[in-house]
Amino acid sequence: MIRRWIVPILIALAIGALAFQVTLMATPGTLMALAMNRLTTLGPINHFAHTATPTPADREIVRTSPDLAYSPCPFDLSGGPLLINAVPVAAPYWALSIFDAQTNAVFVRNRFEAQDRPFRVAVIHGGQVAPPGYEPVRVDGARGIAVIRILVADPASFPAIDAARRASTCRIG
Amino acid sequence: MSAALNRRVVTDALHHRALLGAPHKDPNGMKPRLRILFCITIGALIGTGVAIRTVRAGALSTNRAIGPWQTGSDFATARAGAQTRAIIALRGLLALPAREARYYAAQVDDTGNRLDGHCRYRVTGGQLPARWWSLTLYDNTNGVLVANAAGRYSYNSAGLRASEQDRWQIVVAPRPVGAPPPGAQGRHWLPTGGIDRFDLTLRVYLPAGGGTTNLTREQLPSITKEDCA
Repeated sequence: MIRRWIVPILIALAIGALAFQVTLMATPGTLMALAMNRLTTLGPINHFAHTATPTPADREIVRTSPDLAYSPCPFDLSGGPLLINAVPVAAPYWALSIFDAQTNAVFVRNRFEAQDRPFRVAVIHGGQVAPPGYEPVRVDGARGIAVIRILVADPASFPAIDAARRASTCRIG
Repeated sequence: MSAALNRRVVTDALHHRALLGAPHKDPNGMKPRLRILFCITIGALIGTGVAIRTVRAGALSTNRAIGPWQTGSDFATARAGAQTRAIIALRGLLALPAREARYYAAQVDDTGNRLDGHCRYRVTGGQLPARWWSLTLYDNTNGVLVANAAGRYSYNSAGLRASEQDRWQIVVAPRPVGAPPPGAQGRHWLPTGGIDRFDLTLRVYLPAGGGTTNLTREQLPSITKEDCA
């Protein structure tokens, strides 16, 4: 009787190991897609949504830092390259980061690397080409999230930071 | 001898009928194909379930334990393993790579006991080899900030007084702490909201050495339980 179950049990173990690995591999892409959908409730896709520093009511992304003001731009490159114009703000720290659909950070530039100067990047995939004047950032897949983080050391500084960050843009070009 | 012979005859007959394709009832009450299908289904369900449980039980930083703190250095990179990537996607989507920020998470105090929102802890630290740092309290069950009347969810080094940079102290407790003794450094309050389980995340931005090395036990803050309600 036990012999009849040996092969099926071995198959079950193999299928279990496969299902374990497939689930792990599918998780980042699935959660990223869900996060993108949630972020589009804050604003249109391919545009920055300038949010206040996170509070317990904000659940679009878990474990955000309440010290940072986030400006996420969920993007879809199926209509062309995503052109980002990043403008410095007067804050102790700010950075632009770009994540692909598998949650890999493909680009990070902070204020010190940018030397507090504006910079322009074009997020591209496949055969897309960056327009002149834009630094190309190539991603796997057409979707992802770009986000500007700004340290708000003092809540009183937030209105000025909020006004200044709106000069940064994110659009399909 | 006779019983053994009978069993052999019956077994041979069953094999013979199976080879001929004649239908027979499985002694276990399940046909071979059904048995394999059953095992495939069970295997897939268990494998998926264990993966989900593993990801849900994983901490934001799981590669290395340093005192009560856990950390990892391969966030947001293609070289991270599937399990790390899945846990980070759940626990800290959009986490930055190590050269930009290092994450240290604590679910326990210095003695290894789970952080309890009904208790009072003293978190003590000093300067860290980085551009700036922040300490944030989260609900351990869902990773969201904990509501409190003070509207205080974290402290960061840029918000501390210059005199506190070398040695700072934050009281993590459900209720406000009293005024510090005369001449003592200010004691900051990080509310737990009285929840059952919380965790602390120390973010260290632009760490020295490009984030390739971990902070030491001496550099990382201590988490000391004072009492419980």
